[in-house]
Amino acid sequence: MELDLKNEMLSSGISFWEMIRPPEDISTNGHLIENVFNYTTALNIFYFILVCAGLFGFSYFYHHRRHPRPYYTYGNKKIHLMVTAGIGLAVFFTIDLNITRMSNNDMVNTFWKWPDETKEEVLKVEVLAQQWMWHFRQAGVDGEFNSQDDIVTAHELVVPVDTKLMFQIVSKDVIHSFYVPNARIKVDAMPGRVSRIWMELTKEGTYDIACAEMCGTHHYLMQAKLIVKSKEDYESWKKEAHKLAMQTNDESYPESLWGWKWEN
Amino acid sequence: MIEQEIHHEPKSFIKKYIFSFDHKTIGKQFLWYGIFFLGIGGMMALFIRWTLAYPSDPFPVLGMLMFPENGGIVPPDTYAMLFTLHGTIMIFYAITPILIGAFGNYCIPLMIGARDMIFPTLNMLSFWIAVLSGAILLYSLIIPFGAAAGGWTSYPTLSTLMGSPGHGQTLWLMALFVLGVSSTMGAVNYITTVITLRAPGMGYFDMPLTIWGLWLTAILNAIFLPVLGAGLLLLTFDRLFGTTFFLAGAAATSGSGDPILFQHVFWIFGHPEVYILILPAWGMVSDLLSFFSRKPAFGYKSTALAMTTITVLSTIVYGHHMFTTQMSPLLTQSFMTLTMTISIPSAIFFANWLGTIWRGSVRLHSPMLFALGVVFVFGLGGLTGLYLGTVSTDIYLHDTYFVVGHFHYTMAASVLLGGFAAIYFWFPKMFGRHMSELWAKIHFWFTMIGLNGLFFGMLLIGYAGMHRRIYNPFVYDFLKKLIPLNEFVTIFALIMGFSQIIFVINFIYGLVKGEKAEANPWRVGTLEWSIPSPAPFHNFDTIPHVKCGPHELGNPKLVGRDFQYQTEEIVS
Repeated sequence: MELDLKNEMLSSGISFWEMIRPPEDISTNGHLIENVFNYTTALNIFYFILVCAGLFGFSYFYHHRRHPRPYYTYGNKKIHLMVTAGIGLAVFFTIDLNITRMSNNDMVNTFWKWPDETKEEVLKVEVLAQQWMWHFRQAGVDGEFNSQDDIVTAHELVVPVDTKLMFQIVSKDVIHSFYVPNARIKVDAMPGRVSRIWMELTKEGTYDIACAEMCGTHHYLMQAKLIVKSKEDYESWKKEAHKLAMQTNDESYPESLWGWKWEN
Repeated sequence: MIEQEIHHEPKSFIKKYIFSFDHKTIGKQFLWYGIFFLGIGGMMALFIRWTLAYPSDPFPVLGMLMFPENGGIVPPDTYAMLFTLHGTIMIFYAITPILIGAFGNYCIPLMIGARDMIFPTLNMLSFWIAVLSGAILLYSLIIPFGAAAGGWTSYPTLSTLMGSPGHGQTLWLMALFVLGVSSTMGAVNYITTVITLRAPGMGYFDMPLTIWGLWLTAILNAIFLPVLGAGLLLLTFDRLFGTTFFLAGAAATSGSGDPILFQHVFWIFGHPEVYILILPAWGMVSDLLSFFSRKPAFGYKSTALAMTTITVLSTIVYGHHMFTTQMSPLLTQSFMTLTMTISIPSAIFFANWLGTIWRGSVRLHSPMLFALGVVFVFGLGGLTGLYLGTVSTDIYLHDTYFVVGHFHYTMAASVLLGGFAAIYFWFPKMFGRHMSELWAKIHFWFTMIGLNGLFFGMLLIGYAGMHRRIYNPFVYDFLKKLIPLNEFVTIFALIMGFSQIIFVINFIYGLVKGEKAEANPWRVGTLEWSIPSPAPFHNFDTIPHVKCGPHELGNPKLVGRDFQYQTEEIVS
């Protein structure tokens, strides 16, 4: 099977650059992360070229055959110390301070800025991680979690496109990590506490959800599908799911309902 | 000043080679110990890489011997044990013994002009306790349910009884706790030795930078290993005595604790640990670049102070390992900003290292090649760290192969190359013979090619989104395109692995048949080169008086040679 896959890959003619690209960005915020990444990369390349120029250049030009008499200096002259300190500060001001600022702005203005339910349409999803599967719960028609009409799915999460999604995530047993590569987002799922993320997806299709934190022997199999549907398709799916929920969910047996009241 | 008596060299085999009090013998014992575990950890790495590139193919030759019931294919539970023990062994049983155990023991007394460590018995105990710890760890491989399989970080609740039944994890905890005792003994010994036994005239800023690195490492070890010990002990209590320090969720049947608490305790130790491993290598590189460029270390004092600064900073940045656990935003922002400040001393190192070879007279002997190699790979390792110290990029890259590539560049590549530089450099002093220079250079180039293909490949794979510690990445649709790249990385892993055979043969050949070494083959002035090779039992017949710094090379006023010993007044 692996061999077939490999041949398929090779015949599909995917280039090296396509191979090392992150998965397609289908979120409204993923580009922010890539911007910081690209900025860091550009400056990293610049500084690494400087290091290499010094490393290879000096080793070549000051090789003892070309340069038999070394320059006797401790490098403690004022000018030397100023150059050294200058390089240290240049790196700090050009890379570190900038990416800290950019990243902090992104976190404060976007990733930590939870969508306001009163002002816009928000779909709330509860996620329960366990060895080795993902459960997803949506509130259903009544908008209340932990009630009979909750839509509970395992292994797949169906969401509408162009809608803000808020997640509350916990784990039943060990620490897992809810990883949506196409949205560039992950957050740990921990027993005993609720973690939160939000995202908005912009493209319909089926994508991967993975567990990014080592969670036991079958950690690698702990995957789920993220199915992004158009708003109309999502509504009709929700109708079907509601019918099914009313038939199968047993309200008189609350233990079968693992959900929790949405925590504000 | 402390009086250092001259003891008689023991005659019996056991006193001389087994339970020796001599720091040089203990250093060599740690070297064997480290190389032995380096081999085991390296083999494990090849099993891991093979599985990632060819998930359904049997491992060549050894696979059928080890997993006959699975057709020679590494099973998933064994895979988890392999990466857990690969990390544990490489960090605690290979790199730590080689750089800190072997070269700390061997170099500190010789380079500061002492006859031995200040506590020789403690030194001997530290080695044999490390042996006990290694034995516990290896024993855990052959018990029912197998060895620990929760990753080298062993986060609860996976590492509690609910996630890891059997005794493997308990033995892992015990082994590391015992090793912590051993390392703490070593650390106390190193710190005290450097403070009390420096030769008369040797101030702190006359010490070789190797000693600075080892000394700062020892200080970090002494402060933070007990923190790890505390965490390990609490986790052991959770496993054995039914406490619930780290239990929560379904497993917490009698009151609940907090698994995140363990992560805090672990990384309070774990981040300084990174610097514990790299500081000796930095010190050695700083010295070697100066020795082989035949000029004084550029900005010696600022290098020493930058190392001290990093030592202090390393203790307050650990939270960047936990960005995805959703600490409070304030903590997250603080840890991000603090982490970034590490760039300043790091950039100062690079400036000083390049300043040292600038206008030098560079001799590309094997230790120098490896030292230059450290500068190259640490450059890559340090710069890739920026992505992970930044919160938003870390959200994407956390727990991917990007992290694996990054820490292999910093902890594995830099430290390994630093260790090889040290072995090639001090081998003549340790064993009185030379290793083959030609084969050393061949070893260097193959290692460099293998290592960069391997670890840079990991960075690319991680950027493409592949997460860590998965047995078969290709069950995910978004990772299927990475099959060829994973194969590429595995091929380079094999190149790196096999090129170590060159080293082992060269090492053994050097021991037995190598060319006899003179007292000072590299023509440098630090104290260990002023005595015969191999170093005699008492090191120094008379304790030397130090009159100048460690890097007096290339002084134009010198006549006849281009270096002077630390026992000589500076020619002017």
